[in-house]
Amino acid sequence: MGRIVGIDLGTTNSLVAYVDSQTGQPKCILGPYGSTLCPSVVSLDPDGSVIVGEAARRRLLTQPERTIYSVKRLMGRGPADVQNELKLFPFRIDPQSKNVIRVMLGDKMFTPPEISAFILRELRNWAESFLGETIDRAVITVPAYFNDAQRQATKDAGRIAGLEVLRLVNEPTAAALAYGLHEKQRGHVAVYDLGGGTFDISILKLISTNEGDIYQVLSTNGDTHLGGDDIDNFLQAFIHHQVLQNGAFDFSSSAEATQELRKSLIALKHELSEKDSAVLRFTLPNAELFTHEFSRAEFEKIIQPIVARTMGPVKQALADAHLAPSAIEEVVLVGGTTRTPLIRRTVQEFFGRKPHTELNPDEVVALGAAVQANILERGVSNMLLLDVTPLSLGIETYGGAVSKIIPRNSTIPASAQEQYTTGVDNQTGIDIHVLQGERELAKDCRSLARFTLKVPPAPAGLPRIEVAFLIDANGILQVAAKDMRTGQQHSIEVQPSYGINDTEIERMLEESIEYAEQDFAERQLIEARTESEAILSATAKALANPQSAEIAASERSNIEAAVAALKQSAVATDYKQIRKRIDELNHATEHLAELLMNSAVSTALAGRNLAEV
Amino acid sequence: MNAPKSAPLSTTTCWSCNTPTNLAAFCPQCGKIQSLPENADYFTYFGLPRKLWMGMDALEQKFLQLSWKLHPDNFVNTNEREREISLQRSSKLNDAYRVLRDPVARVEYLLELEGVRKEGQHKQQAPPELLEEAFELNESLDELREAKSAGANLDALTIKLRVAEKNFGEKLHEVDAEMKTAAQHWDAGLDANASESDSEAILQRLNELLNRRSYIRNLVAGVEKELQGTSC
Repeated sequence: MGRIVGIDLGTTNSLVAYVDSQTGQPKCILGPYGSTLCPSVVSLDPDGSVIVGEAARRRLLTQPERTIYSVKRLMGRGPADVQNELKLFPFRIDPQSKNVIRVMLGDKMFTPPEISAFILRELRNWAESFLGETIDRAVITVPAYFNDAQRQATKDAGRIAGLEVLRLVNEPTAAALAYGLHEKQRGHVAVYDLGGGTFDISILKLISTNEGDIYQVLSTNGDTHLGGDDIDNFLQAFIHHQVLQNGAFDFSSSAEATQELRKSLIALKHELSEKDSAVLRFTLPNAELFTHEFSRAEFEKIIQPIVARTMGPVKQALADAHLAPSAIEEVVLVGGTTRTPLIRRTVQEFFGRKPHTELNPDEVVALGAAVQANILERGVSNMLLLDVTPLSLGIETYGGAVSKIIPRNSTIPASAQEQYTTGVDNQTGIDIHVLQGERELAKDCRSLARFTLKVPPAPAGLPRIEVAFLIDANGILQVAAKDMRTGQQHSIEVQPSYGINDTEIERMLEESIEYAEQDFAERQLIEARTESEAILSATAKALANPQSAEIAASERSNIEAAVAALKQSAVATDYKQIRKRIDELNHATEHLAELLMNSAVSTALAGRNLAEV
Repeated sequence: MNAPKSAPLSTTTCWSCNTPTNLAAFCPQCGKIQSLPENADYFTYFGLPRKLWMGMDALEQKFLQLSWKLHPDNFVNTNEREREISLQRSSKLNDAYRVLRDPVARVEYLLELEGVRKEGQHKQQAPPELLEEAFELNESLDELREAKSAGANLDALTIKLRVAEKNFGEKLHEVDAEMKTAAQHWDAGLDANASESDSEAILQRLNELLNRRSYIRNLVAGVEKELQGTSC
């Protein structure tokens, strides 16, 4: 059997990691752009090929209609669930979507698991070319607070990508695995995980026994729609309002300007994690320059509501674990968003101790996934993970109420049995509605599945059917029924409320193979060409800027020569040559790029190229 | 009603090599994981008698020890049958631990096992001695809801309800203490091989206390819910 890799399928970035057999330590794999982070962005080229990662991210500006990001927000959700997302994200959803959402990329439609599968395939390629072997099994991480449908959708994505998903691991739990291995600490640990689109808090107990180390999750809580994306949305809304107030421009009229502003604001947000103030400088489509200086204090005031929203789940998780904040011996921060100083301060004040940040918050989840993959690969190991189900499982009872049969924070796998009988003579079916959530009424909980138990005709009350509900180690529901009088197993056709059936998955798998059939070099060529288009258009724009008149004639001719050389190489098929010419053009335009920015900003951005400005 | 104290478990043989397993989790011959016997209960999973007192540390140790052996992580590279059995056994182990470590759920489970209490059958009638106070409390709750929707001053009602909440909180402690005593009687009865009628009487007493407890618990929860968000 081949190696099992660990994959962090994130909202903003995805990573793939493995355990080095020499050192026993987990490691993230570098992609073709020299980074371990693969932006979770997918773009459909007009020629029908699919582009994933950094190259696709660059297309967000040039081809927003054919490019999608943050698709994780749509996983396992129905059209009615995502109305709020649509206000803030440029998702183009097929209005005909019924249970499963379909997103338009160009003129083609894809389900969220299909789009996620493109990202998984890309990571699989990274791993295969780095490790030099076929990879067909993986452990994939999911937010701890993901419900059954979201987990199932993630598993489906794996299947569509041709990967056997051996386990879905909760992200904070994976982080704890990587952390525990690294720090060798024992006791009560809180993992605070604020990523691009999701927030999780998990409370764990790390126990050393004679057999090895046990990572027991005591409780988990969170919000599957809270993350760095929301900070970006808040900042964006703030600027939109400012600009509109000045009567300068209405952003709702331009998707391209919105994307461009978002990109600038993300850079600004990162800058404010390091510095006390930063200046936003943005050229509006009407060529007017908009500037706004953010102090750290102003920034923190804008994002404060988001930080505050994380504290409710933190308190609930502690209450469920029957622990006071002071009982937590270690706090681990995970997810890029936890680089924000306000978050570090808030968490530190709440727990009364300095959180751990030694491990790279972007990589720690993928590293933990690799550790779990290694545990599974070896069969029996000296580490054991005991995780919990984040939400209570219930069934609808008379009058639309919910009867909870497996409480939240139960260690998984977990099960419950319910006995059913008939209410009228010769009744042939019993309807069962399974839900997930904490509320008392069925309409306020998440519908997982509905099915009808078939019953042979008999007097009322005589049939006795036992239905077994089981949540497996992935947090996914399985249902089986048994006739208690005959001992026979009933087959149940469970139609998930928001899911794709097996036949559809098979079809998607076949289609995705078609998309994947380009070889590596061809893909690299496409990416290099895309990148060259981006830099060429940025250069043309810069040269058209009146300020560029200040540059020397020799500099201008140097740039023009580099542009011509790049254009020439881009029609050929040697992607290495194209990359070389891109670097040369970047070098030739360095001074121009600096010139186009105000001196204060230019020192901060020194060394960046035109496409990044 | 008169279920035997511990039902005899059927003897089994290994599904893979047919060796008698003597109900062990793993076949002594081929080492393959074995299905749980049909009528095994939560106490037998942990090798415990049906007593209501148990040491939490020992229970946790046993739980972790069994988890090491039974968890599905250990069976990823085995055949489907073994994976299924591991899933079944470890889910039941987790179910058992969840119930046994909670003193109230443990009593409820014992009563179901002994046939005194039917699953899902919850008596929600007020115990006679609480009838009057409960009636008064519900009236005050109604008044509070009305006052809230009318935007009236809530202070007097809130104070009254706080007093009632405290009063019922004390009653809850009393019931818990009584349950503890009854549980000790049950355990002692098991040790002394008590007569069926004596055991039955203790179980009935436990059932009555459990019903009273859940009734009071609901009342207190109702008050907490209404008082949330009101000051003082």
